[in-house]
Formats: sequence, structure tokens, C-alpha cells
Amino acid sequence: MRALETIVKELETRFGVISHREQRRDLGEVNIASQHVVAALEWLKRHGGYKHLTHLSVVDWLEDGEFQLTYLLTDPYAHHSLMLCTRIERENARAETIFTLWPEAVTYEQEINEMYGIDFPGSPRQGVEFLLEGWNDMPPMRRDFDTVKYCEDTYDFRPGREHVDPKEVRAKFQAEQKRLKAENTESPQ
Amino acid sequence: MKQDNRLDQPYVSIAPDGSLDHAPIEPGCFLGEDEVQPPLSLNEAMAKLKNWFRANSLNVLAYGTACGAIEMRPLGTSRFDMERLGITGAPTSRQANVLVISGYLSIKTLKRVIRAYEQMPSPKWTVGLGSCTIDGGMYWDSYNTIKQVDQYLPIDTYIAGCMPRPEALIAGFQALMDKIKAGEANGWNEYLENLEAYKAQQRKVINDWAMPAYNW
Amino acid sequence: MEAQLPFYEQALWTALWVFAALIYGLCLNGVIRKIIGRIQGRIGPPFWQPIIDLGKLMFLRTSTMHGIMFYLAPVFRAVGGVGLLVFLPIVIGVPALENFSHSGDLLMIMYFFFFGQLGMAMGAGEGGHPYSPIGISRGLSQMTAFEFPFVLAMIAIAAQTGSFSIAAIVEAQQGGVLNWYIFQNPLAAIAALIALAGMNMVSPFDVVGAPQEIPVGPRTEYNAGFLSLMLSGVSVFNVAKLILFASLFLGGITTIIGFVAKTFIIYFWTIFIGAVFPRFRIEQSIRFFIKWPALAGIAGIALIMA
Repeated sequence: MRALETIVKELETRFGVISHREQRRDLGEVNIASQHVVAALEWLKRHGGYKHLTHLSVVDWLEDGEFQLTYLLTDPYAHHSLMLCTRIERENARAETIFTLWPEAVTYEQEINEMYGIDFPGSPRQGVEFLLEGWNDMPPMRRDFDTVKYCEDTYDFRPGREHVDPKEVRAKFQAEQKRLKAENTESPQ
Repeated sequence: MKQDNRLDQPYVSIAPDGSLDHAPIEPGCFLGEDEVQPPLSLNEAMAKLKNWFRANSLNVLAYGTACGAIEMRPLGTSRFDMERLGITGAPTSRQANVLVISGYLSIKTLKRVIRAYEQMPSPKWTVGLGSCTIDGGMYWDSYNTIKQVDQYLPIDTYIAGCMPRPEALIAGFQALMDKIKAGEANGWNEYLENLEAYKAQQRKVINDWAMPAYNW
Repeated sequence: MEAQLPFYEQALWTALWVFAALIYGLCLNGVIRKIIGRIQGRIGPPFWQPIIDLGKLMFLRTSTMHGIMFYLAPVFRAVGGVGLLVFLPIVIGVPALENFSHSGDLLMIMYFFFFGQLGMAMGAGEGGHPYSPIGISRGLSQMTAFEFPFVLAMIAIAAQTGSFSIAAIVEAQQGGVLNWYIFQNPLAAIAALIALAGMNMVSPFDVVGAPQEIPVGPRTEYNAGFLSLMLSGVSVFNVAKLILFASLFLGGITTIIGFVAKTFIIYFWTIFIGAVFPRFRIEQSIRFFIKWPALAGIAGIALIMA
């Protein structure tokens, strides 16, 4: 385990930390500005001990007009994970590639490029098809992509298919159980 | 897509050079349900024999399309044992008889499944496993999965569930075997008769058609 | 020993034995599958399941054809199997069961062993599948390797008997169980039985058709009618091999019970090896055959000469 404050102090003096939060004893979150991200990752890898890039994911803050990139790093010897979060613009989204630090980031960046439309200039395999072949619409993981409308336009649903809301089913079931319980307590056998 | 199941129309297959290849279907595979069974002619008896042979030795193509594949694998183990029904696995399409669409079918997989299906020798059957093959199931609102497999490939038997347990799968395979023995499992004929319609539907969703027009 | 029946009558009897060997080979395969199923704690298929599989293959439409050699390869395989049985005397002393055997038929039989595999080699490369030639090149190399101890064992047996005729070999083993060559010349028997495991392509020698690496190896593009012809040929070939080994090492075939028991024991020996060993790579299997089984064969010959 490692106290998050030590890492935050080191990052604060070098790169500037916007905010930090301890989610669990072995998982911390640090927000920094987007222009310092790659340098911070390099410092964390070389001197901080966070040798392993576990994941690189994106959160779409549609209302703020920003994407949040989350780099999840792990220190295998201290058993501590750190989420390094940064915000980038949603229009013409681009970020710096980190595949020189971790070659496995190429796949993450390829997927993010296909699903969110974020460019990583310099990363190989940008624009190479990954999960979607022949896709000609907007990047589908963005929150303003209406997937139900796309389904209705492209695919045909089977006639006679009913759409049932699970909440209604649960409410009906619980009401039925209550009614049966009331009946049993009223007239004991 | 399903037409009347009459066997008096010849089925049509298209050779790679575009010419048509007619072949007669064995007549007399049907027997009326409520009427007195007439004695079988030689053609009908041969057809019944052939269907019995085909039903009791099914080769399932070892292609786990999606999450339903996890329920297919216990069938081969000792507890559920599909080999006592004569069902074995085949590693290549050329030696397979049954293609199991196990679960949701994404566009990328649909292209490969079409390729595998068309390379199988006739007669061949398909089984739709799980609710996603019937009406989209859990992924009804996904941009990447198709909602009715029936529009793109002919399906002979559906097994509903999410996922159906191996006992349900065995019941489904037995239903398929009964259907084959009765001579009603003719999805492969329908596919060849309505080839243009099926291909049009397939091309509607597959934008990146990097395949030949028909995979021999 | 010349055939004592007229040609047409002998041909009819031989055709009957070929058909019987086909059914027997398929059922033997089915029995083995049932036994393996029971060992694994499940019910297993009925013992006639391979006959149903063969029938189903006959009733499939062939979907592709890749040229004349592709079509001829299963024919070669079937000819190898049927040819082996046609020149093999099943029971010595009963003219109807002696097929077309004659003196020196041991050499002819050794030729038919390799005929089928060569035909398969020429045909599998035409299939258009990239893994078939890999499988075939492995198969041919392995065949060259197991030929060595096998031929040494045959020479040892022939030298011990003083004749290349199977009828003479069987007659030299009569007169008690201890006269069988498996007890009289155990080194040659060991060499030949290990070569049999290589011939049947069971683990550790099944790299030819390794199912997890190359889908089924040379057989990949074969479907429907081709496959049924090939499988029936292989089935007849298997039974002929078992009859040959029973004649050479286990005293020949005299009764039906003896026939079933001896062929079953020899077949089960190969299955037993196949169930417990992992797979050799091709260079390991070649080196294996040239080492200990070949030494056993040479020792078998040396003991006879001494």
C-alpha cells in the first residue's frame, strides 16, 4: 500500500495537480492538466514505480463539452493503482500518444479512435478498423449517438416483439407477493 | 422469407460462372398428419432412410459465434454427453452439417458466418441459440448486432433462453433431429431458392463486403 | 501356395470378405469410441455409430472439386486398403478365405502399406488449403521413419521362418501358444508393434492430422463422397493390418472368437498408447523411430542369425 499524498506531493511540485481523491486503499485518482500528461506518465513510470499500464479509457462529459482520458497505472510491488485523469476538448479532440512508453497503448488508442473519434497523432494503427467494419456513421460510443434510432433505421425488429420495462415487471411481482402474503396471514390454514 | 414448404419446386444453385445448376429434390419426404399413411414408394423409402442417416450423425461446426458457445462446450463433456446422440464436432466447414449461431451476431461475425455457411456441403442445418437470434434479445438496442438472424440466414430450429442450459440444448437438438427425419428441415433449399433476397438483405448491413458473391 | 479355387469364385469370396472387413472395421472403431466414452465416465455412442457416419457422408452433396488428383487420392487410399486385404490370406487351410495369396506375398503386402499414403500425398496438395501440404509432408516423413523398424521386423520374421509366404509363417507358429512369434522373437514383435502405432497415427505420432494445429491435416478439403470413400478405405485397411499382425505374431486366425480377440487386442494396444501420451513433434518422432525400435529390429535379426 502506499499513501496517495506522497504521490500527489511529488506530482504537485513537478506538474501541478488540479484535484485528487482516494477511492480505495489501493486506488487513487489524480487530475492534472492535459499538457503535462505525458511527462507525468513518464515520471510515474520511471521514478514513481507505476510500471504497468492497466487501462486507458474515456469518459464523455457531454454537458461540459469535454472528454476525460483516464490512464490507469499499477505498481505491482506496492500493490497500488493510480488513475491519472485529464480533460481534453470535445471538438477536434486530440491527445498525445504514449505508445513510446508502453507499446500496448497502441491498441487502446486504436479503439478510442474508432469508438470516440479522438486522434492520437503519431500512434500507429490510427484509423485501422478494429471492431466495426465498414462503419460510416459518427463514432458510436459518444453520448450524442442515438443507438436506438440507428437500430430502427438499419435493422428490422421482429413483428410481434414486445418491449417490457423491467421496473414494471418487478413492481407487479412485488405487489403480487404482498397480496399473497396478506391473504395467507388473514386466513391461516 | 419462409415460403410454403413444398418440395415440388426444384431448387436452384448458382455456379461460380453464373450458370444455374438444377437438381431434383427427393420427393415424398412429407407424410400427412391426420390421414392414413399410404405405403411408401421406393423414392419415399430412400428419402426416409437418407434422412434417418443424416439426423443420427450430426457434425456441428466448432465455431463459437458468441456467448452461447459457453453452453455448447459442456455438451461434449461427460455430464451431458452429446456423442451418445451421434453429435460430434467438426473443425472445418467442409465436414460440418450443422452451424450453431450461438448468441448475438455482430456484423463482423455475420460476414464470417455467411462464409462458413456457404462453404458447408448440403444438406446443412442451422440452429439459433438464445434470444438474441430470435429478436435481438439483450442487445436489442445495440448498433452492432442484427436483430433477426432469419433475415440473413435460414434457421431451422430456435432454442430460446439467455443462455439455454445444456439440457435445453439437447432438447433442441432432438427437435432438430425429429425435424430432419420428418423431412421438414429445408432451410438450405430456401436459401438457394431465395438467394437474391438473402444477399440483398446481407449487403444492406454489411458495408465492407470483401468476399466473393457466393463462397463455394 | 496357389489359389485353389477358380478365379471368379475366389473373387466373389474376396469381395464378401472386403465388405465384411468394412463393417467389422467400422464397428471396431465404434466399440473403441464406446470404451473411451465409458473410461471418461459417459455413455458414449452406440457401436454402430461409424456406419451411420459413413452413410451420412454418402448422402451429402459434394460441394467442391479441385482437379483430377484431388478426386483420385481417396481412390488410392481405398485401393491401398482393399488391395492389402485381397492379397492377404485370412485363414490358412480354408480355400475360400485365402483370397489371392501366393508365395512371397509378404513383399506385396509391404508395398500396399505405403500405396495409400502416397496417393493421399498427391491429392491433398491440390485442395487449395494451405495446411494440407504441411500435414502431408509430415506424414510422409513419418512414414519413411516407421518403415525402418517395420521392415526389419518383417525380415526377422521371414528369416526365422525361412520363407516370405504368410501361409508358411502361420504354419510355423502352430502347435501351442508358446510357438507364437511374439514369444519366440519378442524384439521383432516390439519393433513391429511400435511401428504399428506410428502407422495408425495415434499419439504420440499423430502430428500428421493434429486437430488443434492444422484443422485435420491432409483431410481438410475432403467432403461428402470423397470422405466416405476415404473412410471406408481406411476402415478396410485397418482390419487388414490387424489380420496381418495377428498372422505374423499371434499365430494366425483359426476361429471366429480368436479373430475377434486377437484383432481387438492389437487395436486396443494402439488405442491404449494413444490415450496416455502427448504428441511428438515431427523431428522427435523420426528420431524416435530410427533409434530404439530400429535397434530392437536389428537385435531381432541378429538373434536369428546367431
